[in-house]
Amino acid sequence: MQPTSSMKEEFLQKWQMGLQIYRPLIDNTSVSERRKAIKLSADVAMASLRRGTTCWSRALIQKTATEDNFLVRQMLSGIKAETLINKKLPKVMCHRKIVRRSKKILRRRKSRSAIEEVAAKARKLVKKKTQGLRNVVPGGEFMSNDVLLIQETLDYIVSLQTQVNVMRSIVDAAEAGSERTAYYLGKPKFAIEDG
Amino acid sequence: MLEGLVSPESLSLSYADMSVPERLKWLQQHQQQEVLSLSSNDSPDLLQILQFHGSNNDELLQSTFSHFQMVGSGFGTNYNMGFGHSHEAMDGYISRTSSCQIHSPDTMGVMLKNSEENRAISLKNKRKSEVKTREEEKTEKKIKVEAETESNISNKEASSDTSKETSKGASQIQKLDYIHVRARRGEATDRHSLAERARREKISKKMKYLQDLVPGCNTVTGKAGVLDEIINYVQSLQRQVEFLSMKLAVINPELELGVEDLSVKQFQAYFTNFPVVIASKPSVMVDVPLFPLDQQGSLNLSVSNPNQTSIDAPSESWETQSQSLFASVLR
Repeated sequence: MQPTSSMKEEFLQKWQMGLQIYRPLIDNTSVSERRKAIKLSADVAMASLRRGTTCWSRALIQKTATEDNFLVRQMLSGIKAETLINKKLPKVMCHRKIVRRSKKILRRRKSRSAIEEVAAKARKLVKKKTQGLRNVVPGGEFMSNDVLLIQETLDYIVSLQTQVNVMRSIVDAAEAGSERTAYYLGKPKFAIEDG
Repeated sequence: MLEGLVSPESLSLSYADMSVPERLKWLQQHQQQEVLSLSSNDSPDLLQILQFHGSNNDELLQSTFSHFQMVGSGFGTNYNMGFGHSHEAMDGYISRTSSCQIHSPDTMGVMLKNSEENRAISLKNKRKSEVKTREEEKTEKKIKVEAETESNISNKEASSDTSKETSKGASQIQKLDYIHVRARRGEATDRHSLAERARREKISKKMKYLQDLVPGCNTVTGKAGVLDEIINYVQSLQRQVEFLSMKLAVINPELELGVEDLSVKQFQAYFTNFPVVIASKPSVMVDVPLFPLDQQGSLNLSVSNPNQTSIDAPSESWETQSQSLFASVLR
């Protein structure tokens, strides 16, 4: 599934709405402030595309709500904002290290055939990678089973691609615009020099 | 098929003793028989297992066949094997047994005696369930139906209540969806491992989708490698977002995307033309395809404060694009 143009359009509109909220508020001369504003509003826009159906979108909204509650409330005014922000995160957060250590203790007397060892190592590696994936995907720690994790990853990747495509187009357009203006500024100079 | 089964040599051998080619031959014969058999799918597995079971006991064989006979003869209320089917299916079983009868008259003649087998059947029913779980053959399993049959088989006191339950359960079964799982040869057939295998297949299917989505994943085999690539891709996408937002912050101090509603549609044209995101380093400078400058008028992009914006534009791309800009403006 590739990002569709309707998704991109919706993302752009939401992002603009978010930036409009920011415009009178922040200190316009600080680059880092502006960057944060842009990124947060883009993230919320991307997450709101899914309207709270996916786990990662809810987690992302909650994460940005910790940084800027006001923005999130304003952006999601129509779409059950209160429930999304205030919803408690699911308590599936198990302390994996503790679980692993106890399992290791219980597992002392397992058989040690060569094939089993290799298989066990492969399984361990896969588990490590899935844990890494959980760290990367927002809200990954709360996804208890692997099927859900992979589904969420799929959706998250598509949304990220949408976000990056739109942002890139905007940046390129802005760049081209700024260069044009620079050119226009420069032209009278050339004319004078030629003349 | 039954001649192979009921012949004394095979009976004296236990299942485990049979060598692999014999088993294969039996399976082949078995499948041929299956082709000729009924339309209803739920019971043939049971029948197969009952007809070919691991024990040397031909009493068991006889008892099961006689059981079917008795079912046909109206004894079915007591020993409903949990099929809960309509009578056509039952008749089908009977026809199968009757066809079996034709093949091997010697043992079947014994089976025609109904009387003393009845008591033995309840005991044998229990053994059947154990035997079944030990079987290492191809079984097609419908998970809900399986539960029903197993629970009913192990029921010693198969009274009329259970028959009612199973008939209710059967109507429920028809409404539910089946998860068709085929146990492969040499693998356990209990519920848990089959359910686990279904789950694993679901995961691998989703991983295939991911492989299509993430560029460069086709070369890697194995779950760990694919997961690695996915992690890298997601991280690079997130980094790109950060970089682009920083760049936009630099270029665009008013946070004015500057796109009017009218021009959003024209933007869409650009979106579709722009290449899909590649998982490479986020250098956007050189890749920029130029805008068709006929549509310039609609792009009101931060032209309001030209004094501020021009200085920030990096010089390298200015070099590459200035000439084409120049040329198109002169048109």
